Amino acid sequence: MTAVRGLLIALGLAVGAYGAVLLLDNPTQVIIRIGVWAAVGVLLHDAVFAPACLALGFAARRILPRSWWSPVLVATLCTIVLVLLAIPVYNKPGLQPDNASVLDRDYHWGFWISVAIVWGAALLYLLGSRLLPVRQNDVVQQQRAGHVEAQPPSA
Amino acid sequence: MTGAKPATATSLRGTAITARVGVALGVAITICFVTGFISHFIQHPQPWFYWPTRPVWLYQLTQGLHVISGIAAIPLLVVKLWSVYPKLFERPIIGGLTRQLERASILVLVASMLFQLSTGIMNTAKWYGFKFFFTTNHYAMAYVVAGAVLVHIGVKLPIIRRALGEPLQDIPTGELAPGPTRRTVLNGTWLAVGVATVLTAGQTVPWLRRVSLLAPRSGDGPQGLPVNRTALAAGVLRAAGSPDYRLTVTNGPVVKAFTVAELAAMPQITHQLPIACVEGWSATADWTGVPLSKIIEVVGGSVDSDVRMISLEPPGPYSRTVLPARHARDAQTLIALKVNGQTLHPDHGYPARLIAPSRPGVLQTKWLTRIEVVG
Repeated sequence: MTAVRGLLIALGLAVGAYGAVLLLDNPTQVIIRIGVWAAVGVLLHDAVFAPACLALGFAARRILPRSWWSPVLVATLCTIVLVLLAIPVYNKPGLQPDNASVLDRDYHWGFWISVAIVWGAALLYLLGSRLLPVRQNDVVQQQRAGHVEAQPPSA
Repeated sequence: MTGAKPATATSLRGTAITARVGVALGVAITICFVTGFISHFIQHPQPWFYWPTRPVWLYQLTQGLHVISGIAAIPLLVVKLWSVYPKLFERPIIGGLTRQLERASILVLVASMLFQLSTGIMNTAKWYGFKFFFTTNHYAMAYVVAGAVLVHIGVKLPIIRRALGEPLQDIPTGELAPGPTRRTVLNGTWLAVGVATVLTAGQTVPWLRRVSLLAPRSGDGPQGLPVNRTALAAGVLRAAGSPDYRLTVTNGPVVKAFTVAELAAMPQITHQLPIACVEGWSATADWTGVPLSKIIEVVGGSVDSDVRMISLEPPGPYSRTVLPARHARDAQTLIALKVNGQTLHPDHGYPARLIAPSRPGVLQTKWLTRIEVVG
């Protein structure tokens, strides 16, 4: 395995270096813009997005009943993805006045209807799991090793 | 990850999730890299690169996959970064040289991935908020991503193997009400990938068109076909509509000029061909026109010659393209005068455009003014 790992790392360094050479072919000003774009991406994630998610999770665990956590967690992930996908289309920053075939949907409607469907599904899941009996497997899986039921009375 | 705490978000994280989502992300990145590589070398041909003319939808497939897998990578990256975020603050912050190199490689990996996904999705929406040229830098950064992924796999291989061999390790909490488990996170991730795909893939998958609410294109446009560059933007409206318009075809000293009427008087043929854009949308239409090979025949061109296509559009990156001989002699390659039974709309290349099987839309030259048999 050491040989495979060494090979992967060596190959990776070579391929990455080739990419760097291609990038460095740009004028200095463009290289700076590319570097800034990449760095801002990392900063937005590490210093803004991730802490915001942590705070949201922290708050949600204290406010919401435990049975809500799963659907809310999944719906939140889907909503984050919807927001990321909507950013380049929502206000049509790339709109071209002469070309009606690009960005030709109502993205405000599309985004909010998608959000509504995601949270509607989460609500249905929640109601469904309320109305259906708790499955025995769920109960057993949540029990610790020390959980022992009372012995049946001996006859 | 340290064990005995109740199922907080921290204990939902773990190598078991990181490795599984990482494998899916690796697959998505590989598809992106291979299909992007293909698209690059169709546009910048090299002697060693071979690209077939059949099936006619091959480029539609590869480029559709490029954008679909890129969009699928967005939720995968979000979850993968979430699963390892606490590692950013692990001690020692500085550590030894090996640790520094590993951290640097991860910084390069994350930065280059965010760069590729952000510029890629912005390009599909024709939003050029970044002030650098998209294609060359998206291409160059792809090697940085690929290299960083290879280094990352090399460094983490033992951990990956161990994590994939182990169960997801849901931690029992002893509570009656079922809370989220790692299984929940993983299934939620696949669901988010599905949502992202359904909401955008309709720009290239016809039956998803009506539900792809966030796709940059609905698939509609003049004559039922989207447009990337309009006649107005290309500055060709006057020349394309002029009675002086001629399509000049040359083979060395042999020169022949065709009026639109002369082209229309030649035997016409109709083929159903997709037009597939590098930006990930595609649409299939019935194109009617003269086979390019018949026009080349008129000037005595060889079937082994490449053919240069020159647009009325003033010189620019895509105003002229070279069509490889393999595509030039193909029976389905047309100099199209009509689409879906109607004379080409100016935005679709009136009076005449190239349409060839299995080629990027950007190379299907519109508003043809000159065709040169090369060498």
